[in-house]
Amino acid sequence: MSTQQIHSYVTAMFEVAVANDAVSTVEDEMFRLARAYESNDQLRSSLDDATLPAERRQRIVEQLLGGKANNVTVQLASMLVGTGHASLLPRVADALSRRASSEQQLEVAEIRSAVDLSDAQKSRVADALAKATGKRLNVKVVVDPSVIGGIVATVGDEVIDDTVRTRLDQVKSRL
Amino acid sequence: MSLFSALVVAEDPTQSHHWLFPEIGEIIYGGIASIAVFYVLYRFGWPVAKKSLESRTAKIQKEIDDSAAARAQAETDAVNIRRALGDIASERAKMLADADAQAAAILAEGRARIAAEVADLEVRAAAELAAAKSRLGDELRAEIARLSAAAITVAVRDSLDDRTQQELVDGFIAKVGASR
Repeated sequence: MSTQQIHSYVTAMFEVAVANDAVSTVEDEMFRLARAYESNDQLRSSLDDATLPAERRQRIVEQLLGGKANNVTVQLASMLVGTGHASLLPRVADALSRRASSEQQLEVAEIRSAVDLSDAQKSRVADALAKATGKRLNVKVVVDPSVIGGIVATVGDEVIDDTVRTRLDQVKSRL
Repeated sequence: MSLFSALVVAEDPTQSHHWLFPEIGEIIYGGIASIAVFYVLYRFGWPVAKKSLESRTAKIQKEIDDSAAARAQAETDAVNIRRALGDIASERAKMLADADAQAAAILAEGRARIAAEVADLEVRAAAELAAAKSRLGDELRAEIARLSAAAITVAVRDSLDDRTQQELVDGFIAKVGASR
C-alpha cells in the first residue's frame, strides 16, 4: 500500500478520534496495539492470516482490546484488520501518533526499555529528553526485552542509545 | 700280258728285300703320297684347325677376361658391401647415439618439468596450507567470539536484576539530562 493510502487511513482515524474527543487516548492505544502486534508472533500471524474470515480477525482485536481500550480505538483497529491491512498497523499507528503530536506542537519520543518504567521514571525521562532535544515531546514507552537493559530513545531522526544490547554488540564487534 | 700282270707274276708283293726297310719304290711312292697328304692337310686343314684353335683360344681368353672382370667386379662389390656395412654400422651407431641423446634430453626435460611441477605443487600446497590455517584460525576465532558473545549475553542478562535495571534507567536519565 502506498504512503498516500496510509495517510488517508491516518487522516480518517484522526478525524474520527477528534470527533469523539479521544485523540490522545486513541493514538496511544493504537501505538500500544502496534507494538504488541510487532512483538507477539502469534498475534501477528493470526491478524495477517488471510485464510481466517475477517470477522474472526476482528473478533480477536475486540477480545484483545475489549474493556481495556476506548471503543473508538477498537472500532478503528477492527476496521483496519477487517480490511486485510493488519500489516499496516505499525506504520498507521506511528503516523497517527505523529499526526496527533504535531497538532499539539509535540514530537513523538519512542522510549524502549527492557523493563516497564514507573510514572516517575517516565516523567524524568521525558524531562531529560525534552531538555536534551529542546523539543516538547509526546513520550511513548515500549517495553522491549531485546534491549536487555537500559534505554534507547528515538526522537525524530535522533537516537539516544544507552542499552546493554548495544554495548554487547560493540563487545561482539571487538571480538 | 699287262704290266700289272707282269709285276704280279714277277714277284710276291707280300715279300720285301729287307726285313726292316720297304722297297725303294714304296719309299718313294709313300714319301710322295705322304708329302701330298701333308700338303693337303697343311693347305686345307691347318687354316681350319688354326682358326678353330684361335677361336677356342680367344674364347678361353675371353672367359678368363670375363672371369677376371667378374672377380674384379666381385671384389669391388665386396669392397662396396664392406663399405656399406661400415656405413650401416656407422649410421646405426650414429642413430643409437642420437637416440641416446634424445632420450637423455627427454629424460632431463621430464625431470626438470617434474621438478618444476613438484616445486609448484609444494608452493601451492604451502599456500593452501597457510590459507587453510589462516581460515581455520579465523573460523576458530569467529567461533570463539560468537560463543564468547553468547556467553557474555547470557551472563549479562542473568546478572541484570531489578536493581541493576533501575540503575541503568537512572543512568540513562542522568546521562541524557546532563547532555545539554
